[in-house]
Amino acid sequence: MKIKKNLMSVLVPLASVLLAFVIGAIIISALGGSPTQAVAYLFQGAFGTPNNLASTLVKATPLIFTGLCACFAYRCGVFNLGGEGQFIMGSIATCWVSTTWGIEGAGATVLCLLFGALAGGIWGAIPGILKITRGLNEMIVSIMLNYVATLFMGLLYTSLLREGNVPQTAAVPDATQLQRIVPGLRVTWGIVIALAVAAVVQYFLFSTSKGFQLRAVGLNMTASRFNGFDVKKYILFSFVISGAIAGLGGSVELLGTQYRLISGYAVGYGFDGVAMALIAQLNPLATVVVAYFFAVLRTGANTMQAGAGVPTSVIDIIQALVIVLAVAGFALVKLPQIRQWLTNRTGNKKEGK
Amino acid sequence: MEEILRMEHITKQFGSVYANRDINLEVRRGEVHTLLGENGAGKSTLMNVLFGLYQPTSGKIYLNGVPVKITSPAEAVKKGIGMVHQHFMLVEAMTVFENIILGDQRTKGIFIDKDARRKEILELADRYGLEVELDKPITDIAVGAQQRVEILKALYRGAELLVLDEPTAALTDIEVEGLFAIIEKLKSENKSIIFISHKMREVLKISDRITVLRAGQTVCTVACSDTDGAGLANLMMGRELTPSHYEKIEHPGDPVMALTNLSYQKTFKHSGLNDVTMQVGRGEIVGIAGVDGNGQSQLAQIVTGVLTPDEGEVDLKGSKIARFTPNGFILENVSHIPEDRNKMGLIGNMSVQDNLVLKSTEQPQFSDGHGFHLKKKAIHSYALAMQEKYDIRCESVEQEARNLSGGNQQKVILARELEGKPDLLVAVHPTRGLDIGATRYVHDAMIEARGRGCGVLLISADFDEVLEISDRIIVMFEGQIMGVYSGKNPPIQEISLAMAGK
Amino acid sequence: MDIGELILSTVRMATPILLVALAELYSERAGLVNIGLDGIMSFGALSGFMVCFITGSPILGIVAGACGGILVNMIYAYCTISLCAEQIVYGMAINIFAPAVASFIYRIYFGVSSTLAQGTLMKTAAVPVLKDIPFLGKLLFDQTPMVYFAYLMVIFTAVFFNKTKKGLNYKAVGEYPKAAETLGINVVRQKYVACIICGALAGIGGAYLTTCYVNTYSDGVVAGRGFIALSAVIFGRWSSGGVLLACLLFGFCDALQLRLQILSTSTPYQLFQMIPYVCTLVALAMFGIKKAGPKANGKPYLREER
Repeated sequence: MKIKKNLMSVLVPLASVLLAFVIGAIIISALGGSPTQAVAYLFQGAFGTPNNLASTLVKATPLIFTGLCACFAYRCGVFNLGGEGQFIMGSIATCWVSTTWGIEGAGATVLCLLFGALAGGIWGAIPGILKITRGLNEMIVSIMLNYVATLFMGLLYTSLLREGNVPQTAAVPDATQLQRIVPGLRVTWGIVIALAVAAVVQYFLFSTSKGFQLRAVGLNMTASRFNGFDVKKYILFSFVISGAIAGLGGSVELLGTQYRLISGYAVGYGFDGVAMALIAQLNPLATVVVAYFFAVLRTGANTMQAGAGVPTSVIDIIQALVIVLAVAGFALVKLPQIRQWLTNRTGNKKEGK
Repeated sequence: MEEILRMEHITKQFGSVYANRDINLEVRRGEVHTLLGENGAGKSTLMNVLFGLYQPTSGKIYLNGVPVKITSPAEAVKKGIGMVHQHFMLVEAMTVFENIILGDQRTKGIFIDKDARRKEILELADRYGLEVELDKPITDIAVGAQQRVEILKALYRGAELLVLDEPTAALTDIEVEGLFAIIEKLKSENKSIIFISHKMREVLKISDRITVLRAGQTVCTVACSDTDGAGLANLMMGRELTPSHYEKIEHPGDPVMALTNLSYQKTFKHSGLNDVTMQVGRGEIVGIAGVDGNGQSQLAQIVTGVLTPDEGEVDLKGSKIARFTPNGFILENVSHIPEDRNKMGLIGNMSVQDNLVLKSTEQPQFSDGHGFHLKKKAIHSYALAMQEKYDIRCESVEQEARNLSGGNQQKVILARELEGKPDLLVAVHPTRGLDIGATRYVHDAMIEARGRGCGVLLISADFDEVLEISDRIIVMFEGQIMGVYSGKNPPIQEISLAMAGK
Repeated sequence: MDIGELILSTVRMATPILLVALAELYSERAGLVNIGLDGIMSFGALSGFMVCFITGSPILGIVAGACGGILVNMIYAYCTISLCAEQIVYGMAINIFAPAVASFIYRIYFGVSSTLAQGTLMKTAAVPVLKDIPFLGKLLFDQTPMVYFAYLMVIFTAVFFNKTKKGLNYKAVGEYPKAAETLGINVVRQKYVACIICGALAGIGGAYLTTCYVNTYSDGVVAGRGFIALSAVIFGRWSSGGVLLACLLFGFCDALQLRLQILSTSTPYQLFQMIPYVCTLVALAMFGIKKAGPKANGKPYLREER
C-alpha cells in the first residue's frame, strides 16, 4: 500500500515533466529549432561547468525558501499566498540592518538573518490573525500584502534608502555578506542555510509532536478539535513560521546573491514556491528537489537561448505545463473510478473485516 | 377507498446486507398511512426506493394500479409523488416563493411571472390551509413554516401522494398541531399521505393505518383503531427479553460524572437539552436510550468539552468544570468514541499507527523531551501491539485509516480511547455499521472498562445494544429525561413508550 | 484637482475590475471559487492585444480576449468539475500557467525588445444627445463602448439573477446543489456554463487593459486586479450592484493615487500606489465576514450514485 502510494506520488510529477518536455519539444520544432540540441544546451547550462552547477544552486536557493514556506503553511491547511511579500519584507529588514545600523561582519550577518525571519514572520502573522479573529480569506489578504511589500521596497530603493542616481539601495557591506563556500564559485552558504531549513522543517513535521498535531489539523480540523488540539493556535503558528521561512529566504538572497534592492527583485518567487510545494506534494525534502529542478530549467534556459536560439519563454511554458499537468494528474489519480481501476489492476484486496 | 400505491415484495440489497426484504406496502387514496419502526428498520430505504433514489433489487411498484419504474426523483415528482425529507431541501438564502418555483419546467417564458405564480401558490396554500409568507427568506422562518413550504412545493408540482419523513422531529407542540390540521385538510382533498415516525402519541392520533417495519421486513399492517401504544411498541421492538450476556451492576461507585440542571439551546426540541440531571458512577454503564435527534449528540459533546452548556453544572470526579475545552476533558481522563468516526474521530489521511497515538505523542513512552523527538520505533511497536490486542484487521499499521472497514476503524478508536485507562468513557453509537463479531468485541471492551472502575456513558439508537450492556437505562426525548430504569430486568414496554414520548 | 477628470478616470479604471468581478460573480454563484482570474486576464490581455494589433480593430480584440479567457478557464472547469480537483489549487495553477503562455506567445511574435509594440486604442464612443448633459454627460456617456458594455452587464446580471427562471436555478446550484439536482436542475452542466461566462468576462476584462486602457501589452499589465476583483465580489456581497459600487471604490483609489502622484512630487509615488491594495484590505477587514456568499461555494460536487 505504502509503496503504491509513494509510487504514484513520484510517477505523476515525472509523467508531467515528461509530457511537458514533449510538448516543449513540439513547440521548439515548430519554431524551427532542434529539440535535442536545445536539451543538450539546457543541461550544459545547468551542469556543464562547476560555475554552472554553482549558478544552479544559487538560483535554487530562494525557491527552496518560498517552496518551504508554502509547504509548511499548506500542511496546516492554510493558503499562505503571501510568500513573495514575506520574502521581500525579510530582504527589506536585512537591507535596513546591514546598511543603516553601521555594523558589519559576521555578527551583523547573524543579526540580519534574524531580523529577516522576524520581518517575514510578522508579515505572515497579519493574514493569520485576520483569519482566526475575523474569518477573513487569507488568500486575498496575503496577496494584497504582497503588493504592499513590493511597493514599499520600491519606495525604499527609489527614495528612502536610495544610493546615488540609479534607483537601488546601498549594497550590503562585504564583511556582512554571506561568504562563498568554494572560492571562485558563486555558491555561498546560503544554500547550506536553505538545506538546513528544509531539514528542520522535515524534522519538525515528521518527528515532533507539535509537527504531528499541525499536520493533523491540516488534514481534519474537526477531528483535531475533538481530540484536544488548539486549532486556532496552530493556524496562527503556521502563518508565522511559514512567513519567517520566506523572510529568512529574503535575507539570504540579499546577503548572498543580490546585495541590493532593485527593481525586479524577487519577482515571482512567491507563486513559484506555491507551485513547487504542490508538485512536491507538500513534502519538504521533495520541495528541495523540485526547486532544484526548476532552477536547472532556468539556469539552462539562458544557455539554451544563446546556443540553440530557443527563446527562454519556452522554459516558462514547460514549467507552467509541469504545474498544470501535475496538479491535474494528482486529481485524476484520486478519483474514485481511477482508484478502482488501479486497485483491480494491481490485484490489491481490501483487508477483511 | 381505492388504492393509490402498492409496493410488492420490495427487496433492496446493499452488498450482502438486506435493507429491505420482501416488503409489502399498500396505501389507499385519501388515507394517512404510517410507517412505523425504529432506526435501521428500513423505512428510509423503502422511501428512497419509492422516490427513485434507489432501484430495488427486486419487487414491483404500482401507482393507481399501473406498474411503474421510478428512475429518479424527477421521475417520481412527475408521477405525482412528493417527498418532504427530514432534512429540508430548501435553499436558505432564497425566499419561500423562490424555493417553491425553483426548477419548475412547466411554465413558459424567460422571466418569472411573479404575479401569476403568486396567485397560483396562494390559492393552493389557501386550499390546504398552509400559511406561508412568500417573501421571507428561509432562514427567517421557523421550522414549522419551512415544513409548510416543503409541502407546498410538493403540492405545487402536482403531488397526489405525499411522503412525510419524521415530520415532527423538529417541531414544537403547537407546530405539530398545525401540521395535523394541514394533514386533515389534505385528506379532505383526497391526497394520500405516508407518515414516517417513531413517536407513538402522534402516530396514534393521525394515522388511519399503520405498517410496522422491523429489521427490513414488514411485521404487519393494522388499522389504527385496532391497536394502542403498548401493542405498537411490542410490534415495533418485538423483542422478548433475551438474557444479556453480561452481568449487571446494581451498586455503582461514586459518581465520576454528574450533570445538574444542564440546558443547552433549551427551546430546540431536536438538538437541545432541557434541564438534564443525571449521574454516571464508577464501574457502571449508563445507557441513554432514544431515537437519534433528541439531544443525545449535544449531551455527548458537552460532557467531552466540545460544546459549552448554556445553563447548569457539569462535575467530573467531584469537581465542577469551569471551562469547556476538549483538551481539558482529555486531561481529566475522559475518553470519547464520537458518533461520526470519520469526521470527528479519525484523521483519515493519517496512518492507523498515527491515529492510535493521536493524543499521546507528548508522553515519555512515545517521545523524548515532551514531544521533541518522536520515538518512531516505540510508536510502531505500540501500534503492532494494539493491532494484536484489539484485533484490528489491516494490511499494515502504516495504512491510511480511511481505507479500513468501519469495524476496524472503530477498533482503532477503541484502542486509542481505552488504553489510557479512562475514568469516564463517552461512547456514541459505538457499534454503528459494525457486524455481530465486531459489535461483540466492542461490548466486551466496554464491560472490561467497567470492571476496571471506569464509568461508561453509552448513547445509542440501537435499543438492543442499550438493553444488552447497560446497568441503568435513561430515556431521553426532545431534550429531556423521561425516566431512569434498571438495566437488570428492564421494563421494555415502559421504556419503549418513554422513547416514543409517552 | 479637477473632480470631473477624477471621476472620468475612476470610471475608466473601475471598468476592468468590474468586468472581472462580474466574471467571478458568475463563477461563485455556481459554487466555483476561481482565483485564477489574474491568469485568465493576462491571457485575455494578450489575445486581445494580438488580434487588435493584427487586425487593427479593438472590437475584434475584445472578442479574441473573450475567446482566450474561455479557453483558459475550460482547463480550470474540467479539472474542478469533472476531476474534482481543489478549486484553490487549480486557480493557482492557472495563475502561473496562463501568464507564462501569454508572455511566451508575445515574445515569439514580437521578439524581445525594449520598446513595446503599439496597438490600436479603442476610441470613445459618445452617445448622441445624452453626452451633452452638463457634467454627467461627459462622465457617463462619452466613454469607450467597453464601459457601456460593463454597465449594461451589471444591469443584465441583476435582472438575470433576480428576475429570470434560469437565474434562479443558476443560484440554486451554488447554494444547495443537492436540492437543485432533486428539482431536476443539471448541476454539472450549469457549472460548465458558469465557467464559460466567467472565462469570457475575465478575458474581456484583460483585453480591455490592452485595447482601451493602454494600447500595449507588458507582462505585469494585470497587476493583481484579479485579486482585487475577488475582494470586490466579497465586499459587494455577491450582488451585481454591490460589486459595481465596490469596483467604483477601487477604481477611485486607482484614479486618486495617479492624481496624487502627479500633484505631490515630494511624496514617494509608491505610497500612493499602495492605496488600492490597502483599501482592499481595510474593506475586507470591515465588511468581509466569512459566512456570507453562496452556501456551497468552493465545495466540489460529487454526483451521488444510484
